[in-house]
Amino acid sequence: MERDLAFMIPEIIVLLTVVFALIAEMLRQARLAFVVTLLGLLLATVMTVPLLGENTSVFDGTFRIDMLSIWAKLILLPATALSVLLARSEIGGSDREGTVYVLLCLVTLGALLLSGAGDTMLLVLGILLAGLGSFALVAYPRNDHATEAAMKFFVFASVTGAIMIFGLSYWFGGTGSTQLSDLSRLETKPVIAAIGLIAVIIGLGYKASLVPFHFWAPDAYDGAPISVAAYMSVVPKLGAIFALAQVVRDLPVSTGWPLVIAVIAVLTMTYGYLTALAQSNIVRLLAYSSIAQAGYFLLGVIAIGASPLAFTALIVFAAAYAAMNLGAFAVVMGTGRALDDFSGLGRTNIAMGVAMVVFLLSLVGIPPLAGFVGKFLLFGASIDAGFTWLTVVAILNSVLSLAVYLRIVVPMYQQNDAAPASASRPAGLVTLTWGIAFVFTLGIGLAAQVIFAQFS
Amino acid sequence: MLPIVSITIFLPLIGALFVMTLRKAPAPVVHAIGIGISGLALAGAAWMWARGVNASGFAQVEQFEWMPTIGAAYRVGVDGISLPLILLSTILFFLTFIYSAKVRERPHAFVVLMLLLETAALGTFAALDAILFYVFFEVSLVSMYFMIAGWGHEDRQRAALMFFIYTLLGSLPLLLAILGLYLGSDPHTFDMRVWIDNPPLGGMAAMLALVAMLFTFAVKTPVFPFHTWLPAAHVQAPAAGSVILAGVMLKFGTYGLVRFALQMTPDAFREAGVVVLAFGVVAALYGAFAALAQSDLKRLVAYTSVNHMGYIVVGVAIAALALDPAIRATALDGAVLQMVSHGLVTGALFFLVGMLQDRAHTREMSEFGGLLKVVPILGWSFVLAAFASLGLPGLAHFPAEFQIFLATLHVEPVAIIVILGIVITAGLYLRAISAVFLGEPGKKWASMPDLSLREVLAVGPLLILTIMVGIAPFWVLNIIHKTTSMLQF
Repeated sequence: MERDLAFMIPEIIVLLTVVFALIAEMLRQARLAFVVTLLGLLLATVMTVPLLGENTSVFDGTFRIDMLSIWAKLILLPATALSVLLARSEIGGSDREGTVYVLLCLVTLGALLLSGAGDTMLLVLGILLAGLGSFALVAYPRNDHATEAAMKFFVFASVTGAIMIFGLSYWFGGTGSTQLSDLSRLETKPVIAAIGLIAVIIGLGYKASLVPFHFWAPDAYDGAPISVAAYMSVVPKLGAIFALAQVVRDLPVSTGWPLVIAVIAVLTMTYGYLTALAQSNIVRLLAYSSIAQAGYFLLGVIAIGASPLAFTALIVFAAAYAAMNLGAFAVVMGTGRALDDFSGLGRTNIAMGVAMVVFLLSLVGIPPLAGFVGKFLLFGASIDAGFTWLTVVAILNSVLSLAVYLRIVVPMYQQNDAAPASASRPAGLVTLTWGIAFVFTLGIGLAAQVIFAQFS
Repeated sequence: MLPIVSITIFLPLIGALFVMTLRKAPAPVVHAIGIGISGLALAGAAWMWARGVNASGFAQVEQFEWMPTIGAAYRVGVDGISLPLILLSTILFFLTFIYSAKVRERPHAFVVLMLLLETAALGTFAALDAILFYVFFEVSLVSMYFMIAGWGHEDRQRAALMFFIYTLLGSLPLLLAILGLYLGSDPHTFDMRVWIDNPPLGGMAAMLALVAMLFTFAVKTPVFPFHTWLPAAHVQAPAAGSVILAGVMLKFGTYGLVRFALQMTPDAFREAGVVVLAFGVVAALYGAFAALAQSDLKRLVAYTSVNHMGYIVVGVAIAALALDPAIRATALDGAVLQMVSHGLVTGALFFLVGMLQDRAHTREMSEFGGLLKVVPILGWSFVLAAFASLGLPGLAHFPAEFQIFLATLHVEPVAIIVILGIVITAGLYLRAISAVFLGEPGKKWASMPDLSLREVLAVGPLLILTIMVGIAPFWVLNIIHKTTSMLQF
C-alpha cells in the first residue's frame, strides 16, 4: 500500500492542490488560488521526474505506472499550468475565478487517471471526472451561448458515457474481470469483444473528439472562454487517447481493432480538415483542426504491439501537439476570434506573427518543428505496422491541412491600410504563454532525443 | 580541420538571426549585411571547392549525434554531384543579393528570408542524412512561399498558395519513401551513405519507394505533366525569387533524382528507366513547344526551364539504363553539368527580364522593339544568354547537352528525337530577340536607361561563367567526373 501510494505522489499533489485552491477561493482569495494552482502543478511535474523509467502497476493492476502514464503527467501538468496562465489573463478578477483553476486541476486529474488506466472501472471514473469538470468550465461565462454549448456537451457526454458503461459490462461478463490485462481472454469471444470495443471507442472517442463523436466540440470550444477551449483541446483529449492506447494494448488483434481504428482515423482527419476549411471563426477553425489532429494520434494507436515506434510516436506527438495547440490558442486570445482580426497581424506585432506561423506550420508538420517529428514518427509506426495506405491518407490530409492553416497565415501578411482593431498589445501572461509554447515547439523539433533517450 | 561545410551552411542562418535583431537599421545597411554574408558563404563554397572531392565516396564529411535512438544524425558532406551545385547556389545567392539591393519594401524581412533560403538550399545539397535533407528541403518551401507572397506581382497570393500546396503535396511522398528505406535498412538508420552503399529495399518495395520519389522530384524538377505550378510561380515571383527558384530550387528535383532515386533504388530505377526516359523526352519537347507559344518573356524563360530540366531527366534515365560504366559516366557528367549550366544561364535570363520589367513595367514581347539600340548592354547580354540557352557551342549548355545526347545515342537511339527541342528553342529565342531587341526602337522606350553598375555586377559574372563553362568545361567536369566515374550500381 505504501509502495503504491509512493507511485501516486503526482496525482496526490494535484488532488491536494485542488483542495487548497478551493479553500483559497472560499476565502475569496482568487489570486492565492492562482498561485497555489500553479505551484501545485509545477511541484507535481517535478515529482513525476523520479518515476521515469518505471514500468509497473499499482493497486492490484488498476493503475499503470508506465511510459504512457508518466509522460502523460509530464505533458499534461505543464499544459494545465499554461492553461491556468491563459485563464488568469482572460477571466482574472471576475467572479468565481478560483473555481476555474480548481476545475482545471480536477479535469486534469481525470485525464491522468485515464492515461494510466489499467482497469475498466478507472476508465469510467476518469471519463466522469474529466467530463463533469468540463461541463462547468464550458458554462462558465453564463451567457446563452455558453449554456447552450454546455448543455449539448452534457447530453452528449451522458449518452456516450452510458453506452460505454453498458458495453464494458459485456467485457466484464466475458472476462470475469474488470482488469484490462485480462482482455486477452476475449480471443475466443469475438461478439463480446466487438460490443465492448465499440462502446469504448464511443466513450473515449467523444472525449478525444473523434469523428463521428465530435459534434459537441466546436460548439463547446466556441461557447467556452478561449483559455478553456485551449485546455479542452489538449488535456482531456490526450487523456482519452492515451486511455485508448492502454485498452488496445491488451486487446487481441483478432478482434480487428486496428482496422476499426484506422477507419475512424481516416474519417477524423479528413472530416476535421474539410470542415475547418469552411470556418471563419478561428476558435471553430482550431476546434476542427484539433479534431483532425486527434486522427493522427490514431496512427500511433493502431501500431501498438506491431511497431516499437508506436509509444515513442504517441508521446512525442502528444508533447508537440500540446505545445503548438496551446500556443496557437494563446495567440488567438491575444488577437481575436474572427479571421478578420488576423489581417495585418504579421505587420503590427511581428514577434507574435512569427510565433503564430511557427505554431501553424508545426500543426501542418513542416520540419524542423515539433509537429514534424511527431508526425514523422507516427507515419513510421503505422508503416511499420503494415498500414501504409493509412499513412498515405494521413499525408494527403497534411496537404489539406496546409490549406486550412494558410487561411490564417495569408491575411496576417496582407497589406492592410485600415489599422487592425487589435493593435493593442496583449497581456503579459498571454505573451508568456505563447513564448513558452514557442520554445517547446522549436525545442521538441530539434531535441526530440531528450524524449527518445527514455525509451532505449 | 575547420568544419567549413557546416560553417558555409549555417552562416546565412546566423546572418538572418542577426538581421532580425537590427529592427531599426536602414535598408542599405541591411542589404550590405546580406551581400556580405552571402559573399562569405561564396568564399566558404570556394574553399570547399579547393579542398575537392575524393573518388571513394563523400568528402569533407562532418557529423555529430542528433537523435541516436532512431538512427538520425547531423551528417553533411560533398561529392562531385553536390559540390558544383553548392558553388552554383552560393554564386546565385550572392548575385541575387547584389541585384536586390534596391528592394525598399520591408528590406529586413526580405534579407532574412533570402538568407534562410540560402541555408536551406546549401543544406539540401550537402545533407547526408535523410531527415536532415527533408528538413532543409521543406524549409526552402516555406521561405519561397513567403518570398512569393510578400514581394511578388499582382496575383501573388494565389500563386504562392498554389506553389506551397503543390510542392508540399509533391514532397510528402518522399517522406514515405524515406520511411520505407529507413524501415528496410538494418540496423535502422537515416544515413544516406549506408543507403547508397547497400540499397535497403528490393523488389516491389523498392519500386514503390522509387515511384514515390519520382513523383516528388518530378513535381520539383518539374516534369510534364507536373509542371503547372512553375509558370504561375515564376510569373508572380519577384525577379530575385525567380532566379533562386529556377537556378537553385529546381535543382533539388534533379539532384534528388540522382541522389535518392538513382543511387538508393538503382535496380528499380533500371527497370523503370524507359518510363523515366519517356517522361524526360516528353518534358523537354513539351517545354520547348510551350515556350514557343508564349508572348510573355518571363513565361517564355520559365518554360525553357521545363525543356532544359527535361534533358537532365533524359541524362539520368540514360545513366540508369547504360550498362557500360563509361557511357553511364558520360550521361551523368552531362546531367550534372546541365544543372550547373541551367543555373547560370537561366539565372542571367531571369535577371535580365526582371531588369527589363523594372524599366518598362511590362513583359509582353509585342510591346517592345529595337531595344538593342536603346539599351545595348542589356540587349547584348540578353542575346548572349539566349544563345547560351539554345545550346550554342562555346557556351555553357553545349558541353552538357552534347554529353547527354552522345550517351543517348549509345543507349537508346530512339530517344534522340529530344534533340528537336534544341531546334525549337533556337527558333523561339531568335523570335524573341527579333521582337524585343531588333527593328526600329519605339518612341515609348527612347528614354529607357541602360544597365546600372549594380545590375552589371549582378548579371556580368553569370555571363562570364557561362562562357567559361562553355569554352573550358573541364574545371567543373573534373570534379563531377571523379564521382560519376566511380558510381557502382
